[in-house]
Amino acid sequence: MLHIEELSASYGEAKVLTSAGLSVAQGEVATLCGRNGAGKTTLLRCVMGLHPGSGKVSLNGTDLRGRKPFERARLGLGWVPDDRGAYATLTVAESLALPPMRSGWSLEQIYEAFPNLYARRGSMSTKLSGGEQQMLALARALRMGSRVLLCDEPTEGLSPLLVQRVGEILRQAKQQGIAVLLVEQNLHFAAEVADSYYLLASGRVQQTSPADKDLLTYLGV
Amino acid sequence: MRKIALLCGVALVAAGCGGGGPSTSGGGKLSDDKVVFGVLNDQSGVYAQLSGKNSIKAVELAIADYKAKYGDKAVAKNIVVEAADHQNKPDVANAKAAELYDRKAVDAILDVPTSSAALKVADVAKEKKKLYFNITAATMDLTGKSCNKYTFHYAYDTYMLANGTGKTVTDQGAKSWYLVYPDYLFGQDMTASFEAAVTKAGGKVVAKDPAPFPNASGDFSTYLLKAPNLNPKPDVLGTMQAGAELVALVKQYNEFKLREKGVGLAVGLMFLTDIHSLTPDALAGTTYTDAWYWNYDLRNREFADRFFQATGTRPTFAHAANYSAALQYLEAVQANGTDDADTIVKYLEGRTVEDVFLRSGKIRAEDHRVVHDAYLAKVRSSKEVKEPWDYVDVLKTIPAADAFRAPSADCKL
Amino acid sequence: MLQHVFNGLVGGSFLALVALGLAVIFGMLRVVNFAHGAIYMLGAFGALALTGEAFWAALVVVPVGLGLLGMVLERTVVNRLARLDPLYNFLLTFGLTLVLQDLVKWRYGVQSSPYPTPAGLGGSVDFGLFDFPAYRVFVLVVAAIVCFGVWFLLSRTRLGLIVRACTERPELSAALGVNVGRWVTPVFGFGVALAGLAGVLAAPMRAVHPLMGADLIIVVFAVVVIGGLGSIFGSVAAAFAIGVLQALSEAYLDSALVSQILVYVVMAAVLLWRPSGLFGREESPA
Ligand SMILES: Nc1ncnc2c1ncn2[C@@H]1O[C@H](COP(=O)(O)OP(=O)(O)OP(=O)(O)O)[C@@H](O)[C@H]1O
Ligand SMILES: [Mg+2]
Repeated sequence: MLHIEELSASYGEAKVLTSAGLSVAQGEVATLCGRNGAGKTTLLRCVMGLHPGSGKVSLNGTDLRGRKPFERARLGLGWVPDDRGAYATLTVAESLALPPMRSGWSLEQIYEAFPNLYARRGSMSTKLSGGEQQMLALARALRMGSRVLLCDEPTEGLSPLLVQRVGEILRQAKQQGIAVLLVEQNLHFAAEVADSYYLLASGRVQQTSPADKDLLTYLGV
Repeated sequence: MRKIALLCGVALVAAGCGGGGPSTSGGGKLSDDKVVFGVLNDQSGVYAQLSGKNSIKAVELAIADYKAKYGDKAVAKNIVVEAADHQNKPDVANAKAAELYDRKAVDAILDVPTSSAALKVADVAKEKKKLYFNITAATMDLTGKSCNKYTFHYAYDTYMLANGTGKTVTDQGAKSWYLVYPDYLFGQDMTASFEAAVTKAGGKVVAKDPAPFPNASGDFSTYLLKAPNLNPKPDVLGTMQAGAELVALVKQYNEFKLREKGVGLAVGLMFLTDIHSLTPDALAGTTYTDAWYWNYDLRNREFADRFFQATGTRPTFAHAANYSAALQYLEAVQANGTDDADTIVKYLEGRTVEDVFLRSGKIRAEDHRVVHDAYLAKVRSSKEVKEPWDYVDVLKTIPAADAFRAPSADCKL
Repeated sequence: MLQHVFNGLVGGSFLALVALGLAVIFGMLRVVNFAHGAIYMLGAFGALALTGEAFWAALVVVPVGLGLLGMVLERTVVNRLARLDPLYNFLLTFGLTLVLQDLVKWRYGVQSSPYPTPAGLGGSVDFGLFDFPAYRVFVLVVAAIVCFGVWFLLSRTRLGLIVRACTERPELSAALGVNVGRWVTPVFGFGVALAGLAGVLAAPMRAVHPLMGADLIIVVFAVVVIGGLGSIFGSVAAAFAIGVLQALSEAYLDSALVSQILVYVVMAAVLLWRPSGLFGREESPA
């Protein structure tokens, strides 16, 4: 589904990614781990086209090189950013209505799955709690009908109950054949949803597993 | 004494004889063998229309007239006009004046609108010991505390305007005045002069308001709303605004229908070009003081026709005064056979002069004020305008002796 | 008192229309358009060019024409600014101002040009307590309708939704599939058209001359800063408030200097108290 090869990226002189590669298949949740500052967010931004990177990124066999972010979104990339992507000038309902493609979950399905969002549909998005904002970001991507979700630490700062809820949603998405590239530091959570594990270190990605000693020591768990 | 007279005579004869052959044409008496005028004014801003580039044309007409008059006998064979734009900024005026005198070999600077800029140029003239005829600035300081040996003030000043308009309008029965003025040197001077003139004529200033200058919004409606509600209600609104601000104020005066509400309009300073841009109907009935009017008599008209051929517009008083200053300077050079500044100053001081601009003209020795007749004018309505640009009726001539302030004790030449 | 407030609202109308355009453009493009004052001036001269009498036609044709010109400018020059240092933003739009001013000077001279009050609006409207020139009432009504219309467009339509989203977070909006670039040119044109409209409205009551916009734009910048850069509601509210404040200070204070600098004093105070303006938000992270 999503295929990344020899991706490298830098900020000015500072190289962050050197030849990183990974693949996520349909219905697969791939977890990407790495220390703070390893370049996980950078990798997602490169995939989305928000940061320039060299290397090959393809979605469903379509080469994404040279495509603008909005084209990538329309091709099926769902952006769930680390800052949760809330707007101060858009209400919850407007946030859900913003993306031009709305072929995924219907509004009824969304509001049924996220009753909080329904209750607060008239509020400005940034006025929601952190957890609600996270739900809104996920809901938005599902409403768009994205084929691959790019989730950047969706459980960060969430209460255990809400972390559970995120897990349920991701499993639901998985069942619908949606691929998820999940950046996650919480290995307990990852263990519940993930099918595969990758570790990003020194600008490279290697496949690993939760039992892997390297991974555990690397994360300091 | 006799010796000097003799020398002058010799010089005159020499100049006269020199006419015969170019090699001896008195050229030796002219600095750089030529006479150079420097027209220093606003060539692209708010005062560019009332003077600006067309003043250069006026000076060129004076040169042509001088050459036509003296032909081969002309002392100045080679006459050049240099122009510079001072953008109404005193510091620019200062630098440009020095450049004109030093590098362009200018013998006399002409024009220079904007009082603050005009005063700077007076300082430069004094320092360089070169002539300067100010035409378009209004400040009394040029013939007051900032006067100097090399500076002459032509055409008009705030006293002349206030004395003409303020006194006449009050005499005509408008006893109470509301004054609105731009809050800078010119406006403050004008207001002081007007208040003095109005009071002297038995009138009273019931209120006066400084308006922001420059007025960024171009909006004077606050004062126009206020005017009819003042207690006592003023008979006349006196505006000291100039150029584009005057145009905006008059436009809004009409919009608020103050004339219908019994508040007349008097204008401190107005040029022909202002009436042209407002259209006469916007100002119809307004009285103001003019230093010169192009269609006053046949002599003026003849000059105005030539000016029209050269520029496509009728001359303002500033244009005519620039012509006159250039002409009188050339006459002085001709009479003395030299462009030496001190000689010329000596020659001009106290002299009675007459030309198309200067009627009953005299160059006062005490303060270098050039006095001449001034005119009280009234704007016609468009129905009364029979010919393009013929916008006013001259109501009366203010004799030269009454038009200007007596020499000030502040001036020590 | 009441009439001075009313008069202030009329003055505020011009500030509002120009500031609104400036705010919309800044929001969408992150470009501070210094040429906005020159556009206002072009609006007035546009009205003039359509021979005075055709005021009603000018009211539509001139803003539309200027809007199109704005779109051409955006496509040809302004869009190059995005990748450059903000200093170039200033240099380019300021340079544009000088070019436009000089073109008008060259064609019309520096003199104020006459423009009559439109037929039918020469009278006065009686408000009981005071009467007021009909044309000024008309200006206020037009400005109110336009401001309301823009508000409606922005808050109640899909177009407005997209513009708000792109204005607030262009990158995020792109990642959600919105073609941000496609909206940039029309929004720039629209902002320009608003300034043009203000210029047309100004022609019958103010002096029409090449520098009229240069004088106005400085106050408009203060207004925009007070309202909050890029905040549409803030700009409009601040414009009307400053208009009223100016009218009252001119009427009741005895110093022109004070009423002149009042707007900048208010600006400084607002900046000290709320650096991003009354209704502005801190720049959101990219
Ligand atoms: N805009 C930027 N300019 C310069 N350097 C940056 C920028 N953004 C990130 N970096 C640097 O790039 C490196 C990777 O950053 P990135 O945000 O991708 O890390 P991360 O793995 O997502 O970290 P975290 O777990 O803290 O979210 C870091 O060293 C960071 O300091
Ligand atoms: Mg990160």
